[in-house]
Amino acid sequence: MSQNLTYIPEPELVKGNHTFGSITRLVGDIVETPAPKWWYIAFAISNALLGLLLAMIAYLFYEGTGIWGLNNPVGWGWAIVNFVWWVGIGHAGTLISAILFLFRQGWRTAINRFAEAMTIFAVMCALIFPGIHVGRIWVIYWVFPLPNQMQMWPNFNSPLLWDVFAVGTYFTVSLLFWYVGLVPDFATLRDRVKSKWGKIAYGVAALGWTGGNRQWQNYEKSYMILAGIATPLVLSVHTIVSFDFAVSIVPGWHTTIFPPYFVAGAVFSGFAMVMTLMLITRKLYGLQDIMTINHIEKMNIIILVTGNIVGFAYIMEFFIAWYGGVEYEKAAFINRAMGPYAWAYWIMFLCNVISPQFFWSKRMRTSIVASFILSIVVNIGMWFERFVITVTSLAQDFLPSSWGYYSPTYVDVLTYVGTFGLFFTFFLLFLRFLPMIAIAEVKMVLPQANPHNYDEDGNEFKKIAEK
Amino acid sequence: MSKQQQQTYWRSLNELAKNDEYRKFVDREFPENASELKDGYSRRNFLQIMGASIALAGFAACRKPVQKIVPQTTMPEYSVAGKPLFYATSMPFLGYTTGLLVETNAGRPTKIEGNVEHPSSLGSTNLYQQATILDMYDPDRSRGVKYNGESKSFDEFITTANDSLNAGSNVVFITEANSSLTLNRFKREALAKYPTATWVTYEPFGEENQLLGSQIAFGRKLRVAPDLSQAKVIISLDADFMGTGADNVRNIKSYTKGRKITSTNDEINRLYVAEANYSLTGSNADHRLRIKSSDIKPFVYALAGRLASDLNGLSAFSGYSNAFSQHEWISVLAEEILNNRGTSILMAGADHDADTHAVVAAINVAAENSGKTVKYLELPHTDEANQHDLLKKVVSDMSAGSVDAVIMLGTNPVFTAPVDLNFADALSKVPFSVHLANHFDETSKVSKWHINRAHFLEYWGDGYDFNGVPSVIQPMIQPLFGGKSEIEVLGAIVKGRPINAMDEVRESISPVMGGNTSAQWRTLLHDGLLKGFTFRDASVSLSGGFGSHISASLSNVSVAGDQIELTVKPGATLFDGRFTNNGWLMELPDPITKITWDAVALMSPTTAEALGIRSRKFGDYMYDVVSIESNGRTIEMPSWVLPGHADNAVTITTGFGRNEIGRVADGVGFNAWQVVTTENPLFNRTVSVSKTGQRYEIATTQDHHSMEGRPFVREASIAEYREDPHFAGHMVHVPGPIDDDGQPISLFNEQTFPDHQPQWGMAIDLTSCIGCGVCTIACQAENNIPVIGKREVRRGREMHWIRTDRYFSGDVNGSPQIVHQPIPCMQCELAPCEQVCPVAATTHSEDGLNQMTYNRCIGTRYCANNCPFKVRRFNFFNYPVEYLTKGDDPEVIQMAMNPEVSIRFRGVMEKCTYCVQRISRAKIESKIKTDSRKPADGAVVTACQQACPADAITFGDIRDKNSIVSRTKANERNYLLLEELNIRPRTSYLAKIRNPHEKLV
Repeated sequence: MSQNLTYIPEPELVKGNHTFGSITRLVGDIVETPAPKWWYIAFAISNALLGLLLAMIAYLFYEGTGIWGLNNPVGWGWAIVNFVWWVGIGHAGTLISAILFLFRQGWRTAINRFAEAMTIFAVMCALIFPGIHVGRIWVIYWVFPLPNQMQMWPNFNSPLLWDVFAVGTYFTVSLLFWYVGLVPDFATLRDRVKSKWGKIAYGVAALGWTGGNRQWQNYEKSYMILAGIATPLVLSVHTIVSFDFAVSIVPGWHTTIFPPYFVAGAVFSGFAMVMTLMLITRKLYGLQDIMTINHIEKMNIIILVTGNIVGFAYIMEFFIAWYGGVEYEKAAFINRAMGPYAWAYWIMFLCNVISPQFFWSKRMRTSIVASFILSIVVNIGMWFERFVITVTSLAQDFLPSSWGYYSPTYVDVLTYVGTFGLFFTFFLLFLRFLPMIAIAEVKMVLPQANPHNYDEDGNEFKKIAEK
Repeated sequence: MSKQQQQTYWRSLNELAKNDEYRKFVDREFPENASELKDGYSRRNFLQIMGASIALAGFAACRKPVQKIVPQTTMPEYSVAGKPLFYATSMPFLGYTTGLLVETNAGRPTKIEGNVEHPSSLGSTNLYQQATILDMYDPDRSRGVKYNGESKSFDEFITTANDSLNAGSNVVFITEANSSLTLNRFKREALAKYPTATWVTYEPFGEENQLLGSQIAFGRKLRVAPDLSQAKVIISLDADFMGTGADNVRNIKSYTKGRKITSTNDEINRLYVAEANYSLTGSNADHRLRIKSSDIKPFVYALAGRLASDLNGLSAFSGYSNAFSQHEWISVLAEEILNNRGTSILMAGADHDADTHAVVAAINVAAENSGKTVKYLELPHTDEANQHDLLKKVVSDMSAGSVDAVIMLGTNPVFTAPVDLNFADALSKVPFSVHLANHFDETSKVSKWHINRAHFLEYWGDGYDFNGVPSVIQPMIQPLFGGKSEIEVLGAIVKGRPINAMDEVRESISPVMGGNTSAQWRTLLHDGLLKGFTFRDASVSLSGGFGSHISASLSNVSVAGDQIELTVKPGATLFDGRFTNNGWLMELPDPITKITWDAVALMSPTTAEALGIRSRKFGDYMYDVVSIESNGRTIEMPSWVLPGHADNAVTITTGFGRNEIGRVADGVGFNAWQVVTTENPLFNRTVSVSKTGQRYEIATTQDHHSMEGRPFVREASIAEYREDPHFAGHMVHVPGPIDDDGQPISLFNEQTFPDHQPQWGMAIDLTSCIGCGVCTIACQAENNIPVIGKREVRRGREMHWIRTDRYFSGDVNGSPQIVHQPIPCMQCELAPCEQVCPVAATTHSEDGLNQMTYNRCIGTRYCANNCPFKVRRFNFFNYPVEYLTKGDDPEVIQMAMNPEVSIRFRGVMEKCTYCVQRISRAKIESKIKTDSRKPADGAVVTACQQACPADAITFGDIRDKNSIVSRTKANERNYLLLEELNIRPRTSYLAKIRNPHEKLV
């Protein structure tokens, strides 16, 4: 028996015989050398879109929510759809950094920094919407439990209030987690940059990191603790977002399947978004050695798995609507698939359930082009999923007399487009000024970092390296 | 009421203070900001635009503007700040008055109610009465006397009139139908002063045809006054007595009185309707026959032919038959009439010709109904001549240049007169023409003189109600824009000097009153009517000429073929156009089509298919435009497929298509009057209709017309009800375990309702509700609900707190039935809206109200999403200032507002409160008087309940087992909407009972 067993070494996480130094140079140089021309073009476009967003918000504040396409049955439209969509995207970062960290998935190091940044910016985009969609923006702070002489408290029964806490906590913890991970890399940059301001800025951010043994010990502990805190948040935040719908009595919203289904959907869309961004970035910055085809394949497998969970949920919703025997729920689901919004439903179904099935094939999983296209398709599908849930349920609920069709106005559309400006403005700044790959963490998964310096057969590390 | 007391009416607090700013406001036609609005970029405007960008930096720009108030330093008599005063008055309309009670707050009339003491209203109102208060505050009303467009004073007008008119002048007076004692006294004086003068009463939807019909039948003009409370069988031949027909409040009241059902032993009346258009009355029929308007006449003749052998007096019809004679309806109706002698009534629509009305009268007399279910009343002021013919003659005289002066009091013939008369051309040939009108309208533009008319809430007047009860019209306020009433204008012309209207009214009414003491006068003003007086019920018999007249007409009666026919009907909400600039009425959904802000060409699905009208999908608001050609005149209008409309027929409604009238009226809809000719006044058998290929956007408040088999309106025939009285409750199953209190268990803490508080609840009887929509207008007036305009309604943002849902049932291509269901906030005890509000802006009160705290609301709209009845309304824009005030004249509209209800700003959710301001007022009064927070049963009346002429709504304390609402809810027909959700609505419904005839089922 034993002669049949051969040791298959783990695929190398970093390709191209990199040394510690070369990794530092590869990532650090991006920050230290002048930005390429495309960066300026992309940044200008993003800024223009950000300006568009601000203009739309200013118009909204001046005129009121009437400039959106909302109506009487449909009190929530694109704003809430966009909110849920961006929050969903914001799931991948923390999942990759926290949950995969706890599971000791070494491959996460190539993309975690990147994904966490995306998370934070996506959550920022998401947070805009609940903030601006209310009728009286100037008293939005009433949702916070602020002590006041009237003893007016928010209503703790309301899922919207839970939302405030859930998304707020998630954003805070994600930001902290991201920052803690950045500290050693800030120190690396501080030691490398030439400019005075750069030294000061990175120096302050590095919090006096010297790379001492004691610091590493504390760092690793705190990172582990934060990962532990962040892990339940990954599950809780979208669970609570789903409560906005599930706790209501609207047929099509009032569904117990929502929490797991929303979390799976969020991971699904988050990974797709990371994929889209990663494929562009690794090409533009020449990071194929670190973000390898193996990474892409692993992520595609997660997309396939979560896509199937989502597909299962879609079908299960229909089953329960029928099995539960509630007339209104049954009608809501029939309307989804065959009613006036059937086009949206079938776009969603095609994008989210059918398209990931291509990833059963290894060729597709490892194809850059296929991964790129499907990652975008998945995010289109996930946007439509939120649209279908939010709008179709409201448009046709209990009393047929009140049914009404919802269509967005140009302001709805441009506001959504504008959030991409916000997202990419921050994302491009991140690419420019922060190490987009966790330098210290990638070094830890290099073969050189293996303290034993031997493989399982007792061969010296050098020999493996020579092979 | 003495002259000194008159001083206590003032137009606004500012006027009381008599400050310079107010004088400037009165003098200027537009307030100061108005002119600046028109500039492209004025300084103000620029700052507003800048505000948009600054808004990002600080939200101060979004807050309400600061407004100054003026303290009341001298207190008028009787006026207690915060306490409304009620005065009796009456509203003149179509030649009769309806008794009203007007609520005034700080000298401003704010709400119109029916006068409980007055038999014409018995405390209820119709749409026009309820909404007309907004007409008074219409900022677009004409604000002064004009001569050829130039401002003049009323005194200058009197001088000119004195100079221009002499005893030999050929004067033509054209007026609306008017029952005023004073006006008719002046009329006699005018005809004496100008012996060659002609007096025309022109009312396009008036009762002239009925009067002429009675002239044929009985030899003199008599008013046809139904008394439906006595009727067991009501047969309406295109008579929309609940909707646009005359005296509809009384008719609805008496109809629903015969429809009240409290137990299985009760008998209810039966309503048959034959008509082309689906009218409000038709929608309440037990049986409805779709026939063309022009077939009503042959239908009546066929019925008379069938009855001729069994009833005396119809011998002219013996042996007569036509295509309808074999119709099953004829035999059923004949049987009903014969079996219910003295308790049936036949009614025909006012637009049908005199012959039809004569035959209807003959059948009613033959069936022994006259004096019982229908009375023929002797009117004190009737014009003997045929007014249709008189108008034609007068207009041709005007065209010929033989008329020296035309004096038009309140009518608008340029707009409403048959087009082939070319009234405008004729009028322009008259040297001295005077038009008294609310707006500087179509006729005013062609007249030499325009006098701005006072609203009836601003002037002294009098009149008879439909049955002849003398009523007084007393002003609630000084004329806002110095307008004149028709009495004042005619009086000034007759007497050559301004008159004192109050003195004249007092003089006119004193002979009827039998004295003129101030005690009598005060009682009259207080009550609003003279009790014990009515028109004399003429004991009628068929005149000798009837038989020969009818025999001659028999051969002219034919049944329509397959060609398309056009019917013109008064608009359900705008009538003939006099209410077009009333935002409330304009925005009130048509009771049947639920269209707002538009006129459409109604047709049946079969006809629409034949014309190639595209069938629409849900969410598509574009409608095919059709071109209708009638008598060489063409009108293009959007089509509307109305199930239940007669096939091969198109109905259009009047009131729309006006221009340069005001902010509401301008450019809305299409003018149906342009196809009305003298030859075919209100229906035309030969028209051609074709699709133009264009499309037109229509705003409707209900886009889905089927109940989808869901049990919202529960109905049964009276036989089914007797078999299973609890049928309504049995239609749904409430799942889940039951708690100790007998209710299904709830996840949330249940609200406690302490015993010292009343527990408010409402019951709506769907058997009574006729779906007229007056509850919506009453609610709008009481609760300061804004008008939002067509664009916003089209986007589905209507603001009405109580709406009436209308569903069709049955065969869409055949004769579907209609059910109406008013939906206010249900005040759920376990309200889903309350659970989801993040800031607790909507909470429950101890007396069971689902309260909405506007000041706390941040506008997440989550409550509206979670409301299963979709009764919550959101202020997407700053609606209160947007449509009616347009920023140019906010003060006038502000005066119309109820001071007890706050105006909601942009971004706030609002909804029905069960009229919490009325509840609080009653509770405070009760607390002061009896130290109990529980007002006596009936002390709190909600606005919708008060206005409802069908008495469908009951309201009160449901803990009090003896209250009217508790007893109503104890009825076995009582059911809750969506009971299975365990939200425990406080508003419940009583299932609808129909009374079909077994042969027609």
